[in-house]
Amino acid sequence: MNAVPAIMDFPDRLSPMVVKELRQGLRTRLFGGVLLTLHLMLVLLTLMSGGAENAAVVSGWFDGIVTLVLCIIMPLRGFSAVADELKSGTLDMLALTRLSAGRIIFGKWAAIASQSLLLMLSIMPYVVARFVFGGLDLFGEIAALFYKWLAGVVLAAVIVALSTQRQFWLRAVVVFLPLLIGGCGAASFIMISRMGGGMSSGLVFTSFTKSGGGGSALLVLGMAAWAIFFFLSLAATRIAPAASLLSVIKRSVHLVMILSLMIVGLLTGSSAAMGMTAAGVLSLVMLDALTERVNEVPSVYAAFYQRGWPGRVALWLLAPGWVTGMVYSALLVALVTVYVGWTRSVEEAKLVAVSACGTWMIAALVQLFSTRKSRDLLPPFIIFWLIVNVLIATFGSLLMMPLTMKGTTAWFTCALPQFLPTGYVTAQAGDKAALLNLGMLSACIWPAVLLIAAVFAWGHARAARQEGWRMIHGDQGGSAV
Amino acid sequence: MDRSQPAVVVEDLHRTFGTLKAVDGVSFSIDHGRVVGFVGANGAGKTTTMRIMATLDSPGSGRVCMGGHNVVHHPAKVRRLLGWMPDSFGTYEHMTVLEYLDFYARALGFKGADRLRRIQEVMDFTDLTPLADRMSNKMSKGQTQRLCLGRALLHDPQILILDEPAAGLDPKARVELKNLIRILAQEGKTILISSHILSELGEMCDSLLFIDKGRIVHHGDAESMMRGTEKAGETLVHVQIAGEPAKLIEWALTAPLIKIEEETKRGARLRIQSADDATLAGVLRRMIQDGLPVLDYHREERRLEDAFIDMLGQIDNNTFKGQPPEVRSQKSAE
Repeated sequence: MNAVPAIMDFPDRLSPMVVKELRQGLRTRLFGGVLLTLHLMLVLLTLMSGGAENAAVVSGWFDGIVTLVLCIIMPLRGFSAVADELKSGTLDMLALTRLSAGRIIFGKWAAIASQSLLLMLSIMPYVVARFVFGGLDLFGEIAALFYKWLAGVVLAAVIVALSTQRQFWLRAVVVFLPLLIGGCGAASFIMISRMGGGMSSGLVFTSFTKSGGGGSALLVLGMAAWAIFFFLSLAATRIAPAASLLSVIKRSVHLVMILSLMIVGLLTGSSAAMGMTAAGVLSLVMLDALTERVNEVPSVYAAFYQRGWPGRVALWLLAPGWVTGMVYSALLVALVTVYVGWTRSVEEAKLVAVSACGTWMIAALVQLFSTRKSRDLLPPFIIFWLIVNVLIATFGSLLMMPLTMKGTTAWFTCALPQFLPTGYVTAQAGDKAALLNLGMLSACIWPAVLLIAAVFAWGHARAARQEGWRMIHGDQGGSAV
Repeated sequence: MDRSQPAVVVEDLHRTFGTLKAVDGVSFSIDHGRVVGFVGANGAGKTTTMRIMATLDSPGSGRVCMGGHNVVHHPAKVRRLLGWMPDSFGTYEHMTVLEYLDFYARALGFKGADRLRRIQEVMDFTDLTPLADRMSNKMSKGQTQRLCLGRALLHDPQILILDEPAAGLDPKARVELKNLIRILAQEGKTILISSHILSELGEMCDSLLFIDKGRIVHHGDAESMMRGTEKAGETLVHVQIAGEPAKLIEWALTAPLIKIEEETKRGARLRIQSADDATLAGVLRRMIQDGLPVLDYHREERRLEDAFIDMLGQIDNNTFKGQPPEVRSQKSAE
């Protein structure tokens, strides 16, 4: 009997998924190629940065290359991370191990994040060399490098979440459209910032973080951590077994996040910014809550029933499925609307409510145009979102242009919640309130439509709830929600 | 695992995909330590049933319990008892055989020396030790299949579900796989195997489950399946004699309970209107007493494939009178 050689490359305490992904990832040609090319280019740039006259150009190239690698190439490694496992059937085999859906997804992301970290650390000597020979702001450059890595790992979380989608074209559209738009925006920003005094991106980041002191940096870190959690938990939900209760953890964390933003806003006197941030968080949370399939596994409901009346209340907010997701999102919308109305103005609060109705509208369209047995609500949601927000919003803006130029209020914008904010901004001062009220009235149709669909969907899951109730209480009296 | 209850209980299982009824009221149970073949045409509902049993899909309705645990309510407990080998191989790029098993051993909770010991045991059992440093996606089908079996055995599961394990294997690899399954059966594992190669299933399995259009149409042992005609109280026998077969034909024409089915080169196929062993022996005794130089006398057993196709034909004509599936009546296996 031959002895198997001992395999000690990674310690036991590392997650098995991270070990697997690192073993595979570090061997790929892409990683080796990127590493070698990056260093080759950075060596050349460092050699060129000697003269003061071309420092700005070299700095621009340096930023561009590092951004390309950390914020685009490395995150894109997650593009097929889960889809490949789904297609080859290996995800089934992973699911049968002790690895939870969350650990599988986290491992995929952590491997990309750690490879990015390796690359980032390998860039540090060049930053130091440029500081020694070029007199750059070392802290600013290191901070810039760190924020690029952070942006890259947040993007990696988004892309890993999208990779749970089997359809290549949908992933490609969702990934490359924002990348294209974001890339153009970032390029314009860098060009404008350079033309306006040659400020390096390092200084931009430094000034950003220094503007609010450590608080802003903490906020950025907090938001990044939440965004990573949001996208990874969204992905985990999509591959988890039907009996899992991930929605309880997810929705609790999101609620805490929104409440924290509000409290921070009140404590630091930046309630306006925090209110808008909370509204942004809310729109993502709604996407997640409204695309969960209604759960028909009795043990899921039994987990709530066994906690008495608090469990029955929690069931309405935290049980998996878009029906409870609607109740939960209504609670969050109410919270954010009241907060914005209190700290800013009633008009802005109304606009937040209308935006939420826009998201409910997409959820209602998904329910109207998909069959009851549709297991995956996220792809139609994304498609409707793209249609409504990209196509209609673009054509709507074109329609509005002649009216705006004439100085006329575009009353038709009250027909679609997505149009209303633009219509409101360009409306005649005297028409603003009427337009907003009319828009609110028309937007209310969509939560009403969704509510009707929710009543039916909730009814279909009644048998599962009853069975869940029986699992806890037997046949002795009472009934499920 | 509670051995007082069957290892596998499937009750009135339904699963639909859109308008397609993939599984339509499937019920059966499997006792501990049994090897059961799962037979059906493509799209009959085998893989869907197996995936539900393996907690990889949810039943539309019905109940599935593995080792006493409901697959929907307690998937984690079921997974600890279960080894699953899908029809797709499921290996990874840029990963050696040893790393592949090491990853799954880690994922199953093995640590340190315990992990190495278990990997060693599995590699010895599946004869993969010489291939430890080979890339897992660069092996032959037979080797890959052994690797996948090794992976499924890492946590020493009591129930094994093997979906088309012999598909695409050459004869040598098939024999190796069959031997491995035989050893596992001797160790007392409960094994459910689906395959298209029915003759092999007949050799390996204690009983066979036949599924067609999402329904179990037969659950019994291979022998009863192959002797399908015994149901009608008839038996086909092959007889060969030394010399001219005409002597045999002449004898058969006058013998009671015997009809000539077909004349062959050195004898004949005879239909005896009895399935009783004593009657069959009596016919042979009479042949010898009447001076026929009998060289070969054996009961004809249909090939499993033929039996299966006949059965499907009978089902289509509503004339099938086979055994109903064995369904246990326990209402709570948990």
